[in-house]
Parts: sequence; structure tokens; C-alpha cells
Amino acid sequence: MTTGRRLAGFLATVALAALLGLTTAISMPTSHEAGAAVRLSWTARPEWIEECRAATEEELARVEVHMRQRVVCDGAAASYQLRISVDDTVVAEQVVRGGGLRHDRPMHVLVNQPVPPGLRRLRVELLRREARDSLRDLVPADLAAVEDTGLFAGRAARELDERSRRAAAAVPPRLLLDTVLQLPAQRVALVRYDPDGRRLVLVTDHDH
Amino acid sequence: MRTQTTHSRRLLNRLDSLVTRLYGWRHSPLHQPGTLAALMLVVMLVTGLYLVFGYRVGDPSGSVARLAADPWLGGPIRSIHRYASDLFVIAALFHGFRMFAQRRTWGPRSLAWVSGLVLVGIGLICAWTGFVMAWDVFGARLAIEGARWLDVLPIFSEPLSRIFSGDGPVPSAFFFVNLFLHIALPLAMGIGLWLHVSRVARPTLLPPRLMSWTIIGILAVLAVVLPARLGAPADPFALPGDTPLNLVTAWWLPITERLGAGVVWLLGLVGAALLIAVPRFTRPRPEALAPSVVDPRLCTGCNQCPQDCPWEAITMVERDDDRPTLVARVDPTRCVSCGICAGSCAPMGVGPPGRTGRDQVGDVRELLRASGVRGIVALCCDQAQAAHRAALTQRGVTVRAIPCVGNLHSSVVELLIRGGAAGVIVYGCPPRDCVGREGPKWLVERLFHDREAELQPRVDRRRVQVATMAAGDLAGTLAAHEQFAKAVEAIAPTVPEPDPLLEQECAVALTGEES
Repeated sequence: MTTGRRLAGFLATVALAALLGLTTAISMPTSHEAGAAVRLSWTARPEWIEECRAATEEELARVEVHMRQRVVCDGAAASYQLRISVDDTVVAEQVVRGGGLRHDRPMHVLVNQPVPPGLRRLRVELLRREARDSLRDLVPADLAAVEDTGLFAGRAARELDERSRRAAAAVPPRLLLDTVLQLPAQRVALVRYDPDGRRLVLVTDHDH
Repeated sequence: MRTQTTHSRRLLNRLDSLVTRLYGWRHSPLHQPGTLAALMLVVMLVTGLYLVFGYRVGDPSGSVARLAADPWLGGPIRSIHRYASDLFVIAALFHGFRMFAQRRTWGPRSLAWVSGLVLVGIGLICAWTGFVMAWDVFGARLAIEGARWLDVLPIFSEPLSRIFSGDGPVPSAFFFVNLFLHIALPLAMGIGLWLHVSRVARPTLLPPRLMSWTIIGILAVLAVVLPARLGAPADPFALPGDTPLNLVTAWWLPITERLGAGVVWLLGLVGAALLIAVPRFTRPRPEALAPSVVDPRLCTGCNQCPQDCPWEAITMVERDDDRPTLVARVDPTRCVSCGICAGSCAPMGVGPPGRTGRDQVGDVRELLRASGVRGIVALCCDQAQAAHRAALTQRGVTVRAIPCVGNLHSSVVELLIRGGAAGVIVYGCPPRDCVGREGPKWLVERLFHDREAELQPRVDRRRVQVATMAAGDLAGTLAAHEQFAKAVEAIAPTVPEPDPLLEQECAVALTGEES
């Protein structure tokens, strides 16, 4: 092998090594360079909309004593319309449902919405799509009149409590966040659901 | 698919030529990318052992930043680890390309092909987890992209992506699982590597020592001169802007980020299916490369062909006649028709149909009868460059192509010399680039070191030469010829024998067949 070849080999080695080094050092700009974003992220239970009635004596007679329920309900999880507006312009809109095949699992919201940086009016609304009202008003008024003694003592009240608790754990029919925020370039403002206050809250990196 | 392999072969020859011109065939890393990938695995294992002790799942980005900031050990070792992972991927992919271009993917090699694909896949996932460990902007971007892909599968009750949303700190459990995968996957690669070479006899796992240390040295220098970049710590409240992107292991990231997760899965599955199906489409026609067969009448039970077979396709079994020896049996499902056994059998009782020692001797006898031979005869591997063979022909050399120098029976060399050739030079491929895996090695052993099926002592060894015909090294090919020609000139000329009879171990059967 000639000296020229050796030199060429050495230079090629240096070039290839540098290339290997550069492949890990190259920066790739993203499309977010000049923008900012609003991120919606939360998990919450959808409302369970039921139609309830008192079970008839015939229905109760058909099942074992320990399986008898005084109130028979048929229902489904609510779905919601999520709408994001920036400066009074709707920039994103989608339907949100609970997880699982029957959509009866908690619903997960994760939306990254690009927004121009600067002072912006942000409006996030989560609105139940079903017009029917929820459980409480649909519970038959004559439930109080059903048997509440012996084996059934207190059961009707417990069932009502359980339903009330479940309703309270679900998101309300309407959630609204309407605020003005200063959004710097390349920053993200987070909107999350506060289950205790049952409201949407805005979190920025300063709050965090 | 055959058109693709032909184009790939041309491209491979060009690359081989280029690198051989720069480094010479003895030091060409392109001839041993598989072993290079294995070496990089070792380097990653050693450097990773150091790094793992400095890593904290409770403070991923901080601990990696501290390692990177250490100019004496942590920084260089981290960079070597990272560059080794890049080189692993490059070497492994090139290894696959070489196998594809040389059509070394079908039959029993299918297992090596598929397991190789799995190894590359695991390697890429391992690299992925490694980048995520650093938890810089690039690592976070990879984690988010991976979570997005996983979220379309019905695996997790809650979307994984939400843990990176900033709604809370990323749980340490995530980094623990990631670290566990980063350590466990290389162990799986060890099993995969074992499977990868399980059908190969005497697998070569590492490059030559000089090359190994040279490459490690280059990585070390590179790590000092150009340390692997570490991005800013991941911040869920910042959009990834200026992300240092690893183009070797994550070149696809900017593309997949623009596609739906379902589309990414579809493309990935289709691509994987196509790659896995390569052995099916590259399989040659059955008549072109039929498996070796044994003639039990000629087999002496010497046990040489099982030892020489690079694919462990031959075993010795009980005979079904009254002879006291064992007989060789070829497992056609493991035979790739490389023909190495043809050169290993002294009585010429085994080999692929049409390429046994007996067939080779018959061809030479025909040549001697038809035109005779004078001067130097060059027996060149069919895989070697056609341009080199043409250059030899122009210099008055009688050139004969053979499928692989490992196929060559030593009796052919003897017959040529006794038939009038002044000398026989056998040109093989570079030893680490033999499609028959061990052709040049066994040839030298048989011609010069009395390995079974050896060249008979009566043949003047000065008239025999073994040389390498490497793409990009025409000068080397011609220099070997000129040197040999000068050496042969200094010897008294040969007197051609009219019909040389070869002494064979199985004389009765051979005589019967030849007559």
C-alpha cells in the first residue's frame, strides 16, 4: 500500500468518524419553532345517564331474595363536546367519550393545540351532548313508598346515595374555562380538570 | 427480488472496491460488519456498566448531565457508549445488506436472517430506551412518540402519553421500567446472537484484534474531540424546538411525528413482513443450488466432511451395508450447497450434484484432452471480479472460474500440473468475505498443510499458489500473478503426462467409474 493510499485511508477514517459524530449532533428544528401551545390533559369519569323505575313485584319475585334491587336502571355514559377557542375563534372541536367498548370507563383528554404566542383569550368548553337530564330527577317519586323494612331495610336510601356519589364524581354537564393569558413563544399552557372543584384550571410553568 | 439483489451486488462491489482501495482487503471493515456489530455490543456492555452506576431514576436528566460533565471518565464513556450504539446499527444494517446482496439469506440461513432482523429491532428499541434515559428534549420527544404509538393498542387502561403532559411529574416507575428494559434487552440480544449463529459451525464473533482496537481507539478519540451532545433537560411546558437528533437510530422521528400512529404501525408491520419474507424470495431455483449428496460407495467414513462443513449439515451415521465404517449423511434442510465438502473428500464421494471432486476432475480431463494447458492456470472464485479475470487472461493466463475455492479438490491442481501447467494459482475471495464462509481457509490447509484431501506430496508446491482477488485490488491480483510467474519461471519446465492417473483412496470405485 502506497503512502498516498495510507494518507487517503487516514483522511477517510477521520471524515467517517466526524460524520458519525455529526449524526448525533445535528439539530432538527420542529414545526413548533415560532409557536406556542395549549395542552388539555385530564382524566375524568363521564356522567352516567340513567332512567330508573321501581321494580315490579313480579320482577322481584323472579330473582333470589338477596339479589333483589328495588330500583331498576338502564343507562349509558354521557359524551361531551370539547371546544377550544382562541381569541373568539374556534380552533379545535371534538367529541370526547369514556374509554372502553361501552364508553363507561374514565375519559382521557389529551389535546395539544398550537396557538400563536402572545396575549390570547382562551376559552375551553366541555359540554355534555345528551339533552336528557341526569339521575336525580328521573328517580321515580314513588320510590319512597316501596317497602323499606326487613331484608330491604335502608337499601333504597343506600342505592340513592351510591348514585349521588357517582354523579358527584363525574364531570358536570358543562365545564368552561374562559381566561386571558400571556403565552410566550415555545411555551405550553396546560389546562387540567380539578376533580375537587369540578372545574377546569389553567396551569403554566410558573404555577407548576 | 433477483433484480434487486443484482443491483445490490453491484453497489456492494463498488463499496468494497472503494474501501479496499483505502484500507486494503485485509483491513476492510466492510468484509466483517457482523463481527463489528458484535464488537460494538461488547463496547456498549462495558461502557454501560460504568454508566449505570451513575444513573439515578429519581433524577434522570440531572444524573446524565453530571456524567456528561465529567471530562475524565463519565463524559468520554457516555460518548463512546453512544457512538458504539450508532456504529452497531450501521454495522448490523450493512451486514444485512451484504447478506442480501450476496444472496446469503435463504434455506438454513433464514434463521440467521430473521434472528438478525430481530436483533436489529431489539438494538433500536434499546437505543430508544437509552435516549429516553437521558431525559433531555430528544429523549422526551422519543418517549412521547413511543407513547403515542402504544396508545393506539388496547394495552393500557389510561393513555401513556398523559404522563408526559405536565399534569404531574413523570413517575420514577417509568424511568425504572425504562432502565430495566435498557439492561434486559441486551440480555435478550445475547440469546438472539446465540440463535443467530446457531446453524453456523465455528462462528467468528469478533473482528481481528488489530481492527477491534483500532475502531475502539477511533471511538475514544471521537468521544474526546466531539463529545456526544446532550440536549436541554426535558420540560413539559416547553415545545421541542432545537432538538439534537440522532440521525442513525432516530432518522425516522421527524417523519413518523407527522403520521398517525395507526399508519406508523401499518408501515412498520408491512416493512417487517417484507424483510422477513426476503429468504423466500431470494431462494434460488432448486436445480441451481441443489444440496450436496453422498455416494456411499465412495465414502470411507473418514469424518472429514462433517468437520469442514461450515453449516453443520453433515453427520456420520451407521451404514446399511456390511462395511465396518460410518457413512456421511447430508441434511438437505441445512445444506446451502456451498460445496466445501466437495473439496474435503479425498475419494470425491460428496458434493453438490455436478460440482463434486469427480466432476471437477472430469472437467479438467476434458480440458486437457481438448486443448491441453501450458503456462500458468488461474483458478478463480466465481464471486470474484470479472475485470480481474479478464486482466489475467490478457496476460496469457488460462483462467478457469470455480464456484468457490473451498470447493476445489486438490486433485484438480495435481491434474493440471501433471497435465502440463507450469503452475496453478488459485484466487479466492478475501477470507472474511467468502460466501462459503471458510473456502480460502480450508484450501490453504489442504494444499499446504496436509489437511485431509490434501495435495499429494509428489506435487511440487513451488508450482502452486493461493492468492486473494479482492474487489478494488486489481494491482494485488496482478502482483500476485507476476510474483508467481517469476517463481515458476525459475523452476525447470514441467513435462506433460499424456493421461495422468490419480492415486485415490477409493481406487476400486474410482477406477470403475473412470473406465
